[in-house]
Amino acid sequence: MELPLLSLITFIPLAGALAVLCLPKDLRRAIEGVSLAAAAVPFALSAWLYFAFDRSTAAMQFVERHGWISSSAVRIDYYLGVDGLSAPLVMLTALMSLVALIASLGIKERFKEYAFWFLILEVGMLGVFESLDFFLFYVFWEITLVPMYFLIGIWGGPQKEYAAIKFFLYTLTGSVFMLLGILAMYFKATPHTFDMLELMKIHGALSFKFQALVFLAFYFGFAVKVPAFPFHTWLPLAHVEAPTAISVILAAVLLKMGVYGIMRVSYPMLPLGFEWFLPYLVVIAVINIVYGALCAMAQNDMKKMVAYSSINHMGYCLLAIAGVTATGFSGAAFQMVNHGIITGALFLLVGVIYDRAHTRDIGAFGGLATKVPVYAGLMSLACFASLGLPGMAGFVSEFLCFLGAFPRWKIYTAISVLGILTTAAFFLRMLEKVFLGPLNNRWADLTDMNARELVSLVPLAVLMVVLGIWPRLALDMMNATMVNLAGLFK
Amino acid sequence: MISRAWLIPILPLAASLVILFFGREREDSPLPFVGIAAIGASLWIALRILFDVALGTLALPYENDWSWFSFAADLKGHPFILDMRAGVLVDGAAAAMLAVVCLVSLLVQVYSLGYMRGDAKFKRYFAYMSFFTASMLGLVVSNNLLVTFGCWELVGVSSYLLIGFWFEREAPAYAAKKAFITTKLGDLGFFLALLLTFLYAGSFNIVRVKDVVEMGYMPPFVVTLIGLGLLSGAAGKSAQAPLFIWLPDAMEGPTPVSALIHAATMVAAGIYLVARCYFVFAASPLAMETVAWAGLVTAFLAATMALVPYDIKRVLAFSTVSQLGFMMCALGVGGYTAGLFHLTTHAFFKALLFLCAGSVIHAVHTNDMRSMGGLSKRMPLTFLTMVVGAAAISGIPPLAGFYSKDLILEKVFEHSPAMFGVLALTACLTAFYTFRMLFLTFWGDGRNNERVSRAEESQAVMTIPLLILAALSLVSGWALEHAWAASPGAAGPGAFASLVGPGVAAAEHGATGAARHVNPTVLAASVTAGACCFIALAYSLYCGPDLGAAERLKARFLPVFKLLENRWGFDAFFLALVDIADRVADLAKWVDTEVIDKVFVDGWGVLTRIAAEISHLFDALFVDQAVDGCGYLSRDWVGAGLRGLIARGQVQEYLLYLAVGVSLFAIMK
Repeated sequence: MELPLLSLITFIPLAGALAVLCLPKDLRRAIEGVSLAAAAVPFALSAWLYFAFDRSTAAMQFVERHGWISSSAVRIDYYLGVDGLSAPLVMLTALMSLVALIASLGIKERFKEYAFWFLILEVGMLGVFESLDFFLFYVFWEITLVPMYFLIGIWGGPQKEYAAIKFFLYTLTGSVFMLLGILAMYFKATPHTFDMLELMKIHGALSFKFQALVFLAFYFGFAVKVPAFPFHTWLPLAHVEAPTAISVILAAVLLKMGVYGIMRVSYPMLPLGFEWFLPYLVVIAVINIVYGALCAMAQNDMKKMVAYSSINHMGYCLLAIAGVTATGFSGAAFQMVNHGIITGALFLLVGVIYDRAHTRDIGAFGGLATKVPVYAGLMSLACFASLGLPGMAGFVSEFLCFLGAFPRWKIYTAISVLGILTTAAFFLRMLEKVFLGPLNNRWADLTDMNARELVSLVPLAVLMVVLGIWPRLALDMMNATMVNLAGLFK
Repeated sequence: MISRAWLIPILPLAASLVILFFGREREDSPLPFVGIAAIGASLWIALRILFDVALGTLALPYENDWSWFSFAADLKGHPFILDMRAGVLVDGAAAAMLAVVCLVSLLVQVYSLGYMRGDAKFKRYFAYMSFFTASMLGLVVSNNLLVTFGCWELVGVSSYLLIGFWFEREAPAYAAKKAFITTKLGDLGFFLALLLTFLYAGSFNIVRVKDVVEMGYMPPFVVTLIGLGLLSGAAGKSAQAPLFIWLPDAMEGPTPVSALIHAATMVAAGIYLVARCYFVFAASPLAMETVAWAGLVTAFLAATMALVPYDIKRVLAFSTVSQLGFMMCALGVGGYTAGLFHLTTHAFFKALLFLCAGSVIHAVHTNDMRSMGGLSKRMPLTFLTMVVGAAAISGIPPLAGFYSKDLILEKVFEHSPAMFGVLALTACLTAFYTFRMLFLTFWGDGRNNERVSRAEESQAVMTIPLLILAALSLVSGWALEHAWAASPGAAGPGAFASLVGPGVAAAEHGATGAARHVNPTVLAASVTAGACCFIALAYSLYCGPDLGAAERLKARFLPVFKLLENRWGFDAFFLALVDIADRVADLAKWVDTEVIDKVFVDGWGVLTRIAAEISHLFDALFVDQAVDGCGYLSRDWVGAGLRGLIARGQVQEYLLYLAVGVSLFAIMK
């Protein structure tokens, strides 16, 4: 029997979470060790996945399928598998979870519960990207919600309860609509099935009206996660209030679930609805890009600025998808990975300064580059990566996004290019105000980054550069799938 | 040797990484020599290539590329996996450019050993310098427009790092940001041009794009758009109107950096891009004409702005902008060779002028020319070399600038006498402001002050590069025009043309056949005479021991001076734009928090709560009251009535009821 790689990746964190639960809370070291191991092993296995992955096929790989709930009425399978769209996201999730957990080691209170919820969250995120059964997909989707609620609500900032409940209600509303969509698909299929791959084949039998309606239901669920304008306002709040590591997870992985959903569900299952919605989707994408960047430019809080920059960057994904080209899909898939790495790093970096200065007000600093050169260097690197500097990961994916959207939406793409300029403007302004100029004496005894922070950040920095110079490391995995995806309805 | 052309950008890149990541920051760190060795090796390769071409053993263009990455693309709706290749493409223009960039960068770095000595970030400075050079070299050799764009942006980032090198002060930090954002604004056009190119050509390979354009597969409208997009990028990097606003501020960087930016790396990039993609412009008369006018306007405006400042580096900055305008204008009127020729000679004399200025600033510790004067005796080497540079830029024969500027003016005259008139006037203004600077700095002993009396000639590590550059400024014009005759491929005057001519970009744009013909000698002589007159004017105004004459002139034409000092209002215009952008951003923020979040999102929440309250009220007022009402009804009405009816204290009646009840139960099964 083959090794159930995906199951191992998904459920080792669950085992870790249960083990953490059994440990007494005074054994801090042991809890740290167990939880780190529970995040590290899936990461190692995902590296194995990377090497074992067959790059020449668009088919699902590492498939595991077992009956789960089967009666005469319903049949629900435990059905996992990855392709070129989801495999990179699984790897991203495993990596960012490990990194975020390392960054969480500084948490002082209630670490045991923190580790527990964190690992449960990882299970949910991994499962979402791997599930091929709609029921399972929905279960994992909802699993991510509860830990997030507690992680923000307990370990968050001053307004944590409000942020947590807002996040929870907002995304729950979204996923209720998604559930409606799932049920609609289930009952429309004959025989009734939750098998996502089967459901992709029935679109020929679906009327336009049905497709448009169900598309909207799914879209609402996904758009809240992306987040797409105007469903994005939970994001800045949740980011600002969440602890650093959770912001990292939120930006790096959770937002990807929305775009992933559009690419995995909305487009292949409901092509007519998708096509009908395209003119709106592209407008939303442009708003995300330009408006998100403008909002970011007006922020004084570093974390809020990065949060709005996420809205801008996810706009590139939406724009690329709206292009409905193989290039666009590649761009969106690659942009998801890169945004995860880059924005994850940015949130970690904001956390580093916040831990020391207890403020994130851009105007409160000044001239830090002389005081904390390593930090300044890493922050500049991440900012330049985020503003799409060539030679760094963000550039290739952003460029592919634009390239993919351009044939169909020339004017909209041309407008979106303004987002690049605005992004550059607010990142450079932040760098100038925080790091350059004369040193603000208030920070005369600021210390540079410590070992734990470096361990979590340097790998991300390396990845940013490596993926920028040698993008084939990621793109080769995606190509076959994206070609297949773009050719579905040609 | 040509097969190693790919090493030319890679060596400095590797050097920059080594310098950045190894060793400690020390005043006498040996690591800068790594950078100098790397750029020396690159120069060696570049010179060997030129040499091979001159001997005729190497035929250009040379192209070689490798697979970079592959991505899913679409061709007429059919998705497939496209191999993106990147590599080198060396034509005559690129070969010349490589040598120039390497040479200037090498000299500047050697000079910097002296200039930057004792700086706290000595090592980092050289890492940035190597990176800057590497980016520029990559831009020059790349055969893939996407890589060109990548290097283009890296040039921008290096300039950001170097202009803001002394970021502990506010001004350099601000100038760095301004340079980056302004050039980025121009780059948006380049970016869109790339998208259009790929859409219509399906490739970024320069040769392939050229084929597509020349075969006429691209609609003319699209070609024009691509041309304008490229021009917009070039205008940002090469500081053409109206995007030149960053260049004067960029003077906040260390002076050798300015020399590198102004001579070889950054501002040359735009001109080079237009030359490299000349086939696009050749296919679009509109784009071509726009290039010419952009260049002309820039040349004239910048020359006027150079007339008034007293900051020595600012004069030089405006003069660079103006000279770039000359080159752009030359390219626009079809003078491909003329533009590149001026780019080459300008690299030498502008680097020379900047390094001389640096030497002066190093000695007197100020940029203000009013605090200088009479330095010729204290710094004879700097003085002599700067005179060479000034004469060269003013187009005094037989120095380098004479040949290239003459060629440009000739081309422009053939294109349009009106444009020639403006450009000839600009050439005279060039002579005026350059010599004004020279007179202010080195003449006028009467203005002697403490700074000048303490000034000393710079050390050899700084003056030797000056001498080399001065020699090049002296002879390069003549040499490039004639000495190429030694090669079998070309003979006689116009030898530079035979080098860059077989370029991939285009042969000479040949619309000149029916154009006006003019005797080049007459043209050259008249412009040179004009320049000499303006030098004499500068002498009379600025050479004296005091600046009385100049001040009186200024008082008389104050509004004009103010306009020029305010740079024709361009800075104010762009600052207003930034201000507007900020306001829009604030508005967006307000809309986001106060409207979308408060009204739409929280509004839903409030609505839900109101609905909940209403249902609660309904529940309490109607449902529950109805239940209670039933209770009251049964207790107070029905119950009381029944009780009144039956509870009369008669035991027999009770027994009767009991019996009826029991028998009822008995009947029911």
